[in-house]
This record gives sequence, structure tokens and C-alpha cells, in this order.
Amino acid sequence: MKRHRPLSPDAHAHLDGIGRAPESADERRILDQLNRALSHYRQNLQVPGPEVDDRVMAVVAAPQSTHRSLWRWFFAPVDVRVRPATAFVAGVALVLVLALVVPRVLPRGPGGTDLSSQSVLVQFELRAPAAQSVSLAGSFNGWSPASIPLTRTPESDRWRVTIPLRPGEHEYLFVIDREEWVADPHAHAQVDDGFGQSNSVIMVGPRGVARL
Amino acid sequence: MRRMAVVLGILLSVTAPMHGQELDVRAELMRRGAPPDFADRVAQLVTAAHREGLPHQDIANKALEGWAKRRHVPSERVLVALEGLMGAFRAGRDAARMAGISAPPMTVISSAGLALARGMTREQIADVIHAAPTPEQAAGGLAVASSLGAQGLEHAAAVRAVNDAFRDGSPPEHMLELPSVIANLIARGVPMSDVARSILEGRGVPGGPGVGIGPPGNGVGRPPGVPPGRGPPNLNDLPGKAKGQGKNSSA
Amino acid sequence: MLGTWVGGARHARGVSFRALTRSTGESPTPDGEIVARVRAGDPQAFGVLVTRYREQFAQYASALCGDADLAADALQEAFIRAYGSLDRCRDPDNFKGWFFRILTNQCHNVRDRRREHVSLDALAIGERSVDREIDRAAIRDALDGALSALTTGQREAFVLKHMVGLSYAQIAELLDEGVDALKMRVYRARDIVKDHMSEFLES
Repeated sequence: MKRHRPLSPDAHAHLDGIGRAPESADERRILDQLNRALSHYRQNLQVPGPEVDDRVMAVVAAPQSTHRSLWRWFFAPVDVRVRPATAFVAGVALVLVLALVVPRVLPRGPGGTDLSSQSVLVQFELRAPAAQSVSLAGSFNGWSPASIPLTRTPESDRWRVTIPLRPGEHEYLFVIDREEWVADPHAHAQVDDGFGQSNSVIMVGPRGVARL
Repeated sequence: MRRMAVVLGILLSVTAPMHGQELDVRAELMRRGAPPDFADRVAQLVTAAHREGLPHQDIANKALEGWAKRRHVPSERVLVALEGLMGAFRAGRDAARMAGISAPPMTVISSAGLALARGMTREQIADVIHAAPTPEQAAGGLAVASSLGAQGLEHAAAVRAVNDAFRDGSPPEHMLELPSVIANLIARGVPMSDVARSILEGRGVPGGPGVGIGPPGNGVGRPPGVPPGRGPPNLNDLPGKAKGQGKNSSA
Repeated sequence: MLGTWVGGARHARGVSFRALTRSTGESPTPDGEIVARVRAGDPQAFGVLVTRYREQFAQYASALCGDADLAADALQEAFIRAYGSLDRCRDPDNFKGWFFRILTNQCHNVRDRRREHVSLDALAIGERSVDREIDRAAIRDALDGALSALTTGQREAFVLKHMVGLSYAQIAELLDEGVDALKMRVYRARDIVKDHMSEFLES
């Protein structure tokens, strides 16, 4: 590419919107055309619209999320004095209904992971030096393939993410380059996913997870 | 009292028709690009599960999983799997009833269904249910037992380990650590048959909870990476550019 | 097969759900407050940030990616990543700067991948009968080609200055940098763009 003379300080000042046009007629012409090209570009620039918002929120707001606040209601401290007889009736109904609703109402935070004070941090790691991207998809985030990305370690052959998870069993897989679903060799076990494939599982205890 | 009434009111209105739920899974699938007829059929199954008193949210989650994996799983296969899951839940509910819980909670139905799917017998399920102090804890015990089974511990030993944990009075959460303990043993090359024998002969899980519950390093393997309780790692880790990363302050 | 089982014992701790109300039509809810709301259990609140910063950064993303559809992908990916790492946003009041960085990285990635594809505009241009169309496409291609010759840092700065139209002070705040270093980058970028567009400009 042919090397041209760099723009003069006056030209830069002019492009910055201060000072008057440079003295050289050549330079003035180039600046004028550059400005017009830029202005033309700006005016005709097509930009993404609100459909982006919808697509993002579809991933962000998985169905379970709508019950988060309800979940917290149940377990917020309740300093209510209740008389024994009524307590029994209300208690029984509450237990029955809670058993129906609450256990299947799974609180989720950003990325679908849990943020409650009971959650425990769990690290996930995968060795994938050739991958362009790796993410984590599982029961804790509605199996969204993109919402929990892993980060490459400085040594760059491994990918890692640490997320809070509730104690209990979680099924998951890694997603490489947005299309390849791979198991976690460090999981507690691999189980049938019901579709003829396998899922990795870990059982998270109150103090975290130890694995292979 | 008022709060209880309010809570009950909310709960009952939520559990009644749960139209919101059905719309949610259907809408969610469509937002993720699923064809309307697939989303409709899933919604029908979820509604049916709800009406039958089965864990319909698990069905919904399974559908999301199947759709996410669509590159390898045709939608018909997903629907078949959902029906299979409902069958597993029905069987789990039967097993729980046979064990004496007349109205099993969803957690029990779900865990019992899972346990059957992973090869536990109805007798073994009943065993865990009888050993557990409450149905909720039974659900937990069943989940742990199925997990141990999936790791390669024979079911009889898995059930015994869980029941021992119930009976020796350790807090229920500690049972959740059993799979981690087993994973440690596997990593150290201990054969599962030895572990099973130790359990079945009454010597418990080597290094399991109940032995050295307390500070880390006492039997239960410490998780690699970030230990719980210590906030998120200090990750200044947005990939790519390093400059300008240090501060997020507004100038 | 099944999803998460929740532990048997119910723990009575939890965050009390605070209904945050703010009258609409007044000054917009600050980012820090929205982030707090999302963290407290309201994922829908994230939508406010999505709309806010999609509107603010759409132009930037389009120019940086060179294509509106690719920009949409980059924006979507960036928001999803931001949501996934929201607990790692150390200064929620400056969500904007934090998100800007994530978005910029996505745009650079998208642009790098784009280079592998043949530009169809070059093939289609002969079919266009309207001069205006040819001009538009030619200018877009020429500028876009020139942008590809810049380093990522130069490109960001140039786009923010000349396509989004921010002041140096505004750009410095967004990039979390000093104005002087920034100016040097913009000046250098201008020279490179000018050189790359010389044939076009002189025609």
C-alpha cells in the first residue's frame, strides 16, 4: 500500500472540530472527502433493533425464574405468633402445598445460577486447548447453551468458571464452540439423559464438591 | 397469621391451574426458536403431568434440555423421553405409596422415579423411605443413593450408607457429601467392591461423614478450586484486552 | 435424568423480598440499582439494562462489526455473558463500562471470524442499477476495509470518535483511559484510514 504523507496537526485539529481548515489545498480536499464519507457512512449505518432485547431475555428469564420471589418469601424469617389449633391446620396445608410447589421452584440468579445464602461455589474446569469458546449448560440454568461461559486460563489449554450452586444433584454438560456437547471427566458420574446421550452429574454438599 | 393466610392464598392460586407454567414452557421454547407444534406438544405434556400430580417442572426442564440438544436429538425423541419421564414418575409415586407414604410430595416422586430409572428396586426405595425421619429427607436420601449407584457403588451398599447416615443422627446435608467422598476414594484407586464390603459389613464408608466432621482435611475431601465461603474469585478476566481492565470506576 | 433435588432440611434464612418501586417517567433507575435487583432475584430487571445499552451501543457495535446482523449477534452474546458473570461485576454503578468491554471483545471476535467470508457485495455491485446504491455500498466497503487495517484499539477509538460521534472526554471515560493516549490512537487511525481510502477518496 502506498505510503502517503500523514495528516498535519492542523488537519487533526480540524477533524477534532477545532481550528480552521489546513492551508494545503490537497489536504483540505482529502479532509472534505473523508468527512463526507464518514457522514455518509453514519447516516446509512444499519443498526440492530429491539429484537436483540427479546432474544437476550428469552435466555435470561427461564421459566423457573418467575418463582424466585415466592421461594424467598417462604424462607424469609417469619416472626409470627400462631395459636396451636389454627397452626395445625395452616401448618398441614402449608406443608402439603409447599411440598407441591416449593421443591420444584428453583431460585436462580444471573446466568440461571443460584444466589441464595445456602449456595456453594463450585468450580468447573475443562481441558480444551483448541476450543474457541466453552460454556456450561445444565439443570441449573435451563440448559441454556450460552449463558455461562468459561474463561481460558492463563496457560490457555484449560477453561474455568466458578458458579454458586444449591446443595443437591446437578446435571450438566460443557458446550464447545456452541455446538459440541461434551461430558465432564471430573464429574461424579455420567448418567443417561433419556435422549440416548449422557449427562454429567455432581452432588453438591454444603461444603462444596470433591471429585476425580 | 395474616402472613400465613396471605402465603397460603398465593400458594393456592399458584398451584391451582398454573396456566402461567404452561405458557412459560411453551413461550420459552418458542423464544428459543422451537417450532410451535413442538412447543404445543410439550405444553400439553406438562399440563398433563401437572394434572396428574407429577413433577411437571422437571418435565419442562427436560424439554428445554432436549431442545438445547436438538443437533443430536430429534424433537420426536424429546417427546418420547418426556413421556418416559412421566412413566418414571408414576412408578416412583407407586413405590413411595407402597412404602407407606399415602400422598408423596413432589420431591419424593421425583427422587423415587430417578432411583428406579437408575436401577434401584422398589424394596430398596422403601428401605430408604422407612429409614428417613421425614418424607423430605427420604427424597434426599433417595437422590444420594441413586447418585452413589451411578458412581458405581452397588445399590445395596448405597442404600445402607444412606440409611446409616439417617440413623446415626448426622445432619441431613452431610449425606450430600457422600458422592464426593466416594469420588475421592475412586481417585485414590480404592475399588468400589471394597467400599461396598466395608459398608455392608458395618464399617461404614472409609473417611465418610460421621468420621471427622468439622474442619477441612478431616476425611471429607476439600473441593479443588475455590472453597465455599470465600466469595467469588478475583477474576479480572474478560478475555482479550488487558488495558483499562483494572478499574471499573467512572471517571 | 432429573434435575436438581433440593436438600431435605428447610433452612429458614433467606433474603427478604423487597418490592422496589420507582415511579416511571422520572430519571431512569441507576445501573447499580438494577444490578442489585437482578442479584436479589429479579432476572426480568436485566431487561432494562439490555434495552438501555442496546440503544446506546447499537451504532458502535454495527460499525465495529461492519454489519448489522453480526452486531446483533455480538450484542446478544455480550448481554448473555454479562448476565452470566453479573456477580463478577465489581462496580455495578459502572455497568456501562464493564459491559462495554465485554461487547467490544465480542465485536472484535465477530469481525475476525467475518474475514473468512467472501464479501458478496463485491459480486452484487454490478447488478445494482441505481447510482446511490453503488455509492453507499462502495463507501461502506471502503471504510470497512480501512477499519480492518487498524489495530483493535485504534478501531474502537476511531469508531467511537467518528462513527458514534463521542467527545474525547466521553471516550476516555468509556475506555477508562487518559485523553492524550486516546488522541494519539485516533490520530494514528485517521492516517491509516486515509491511506487505505486514498484511491477511493481521490476518485
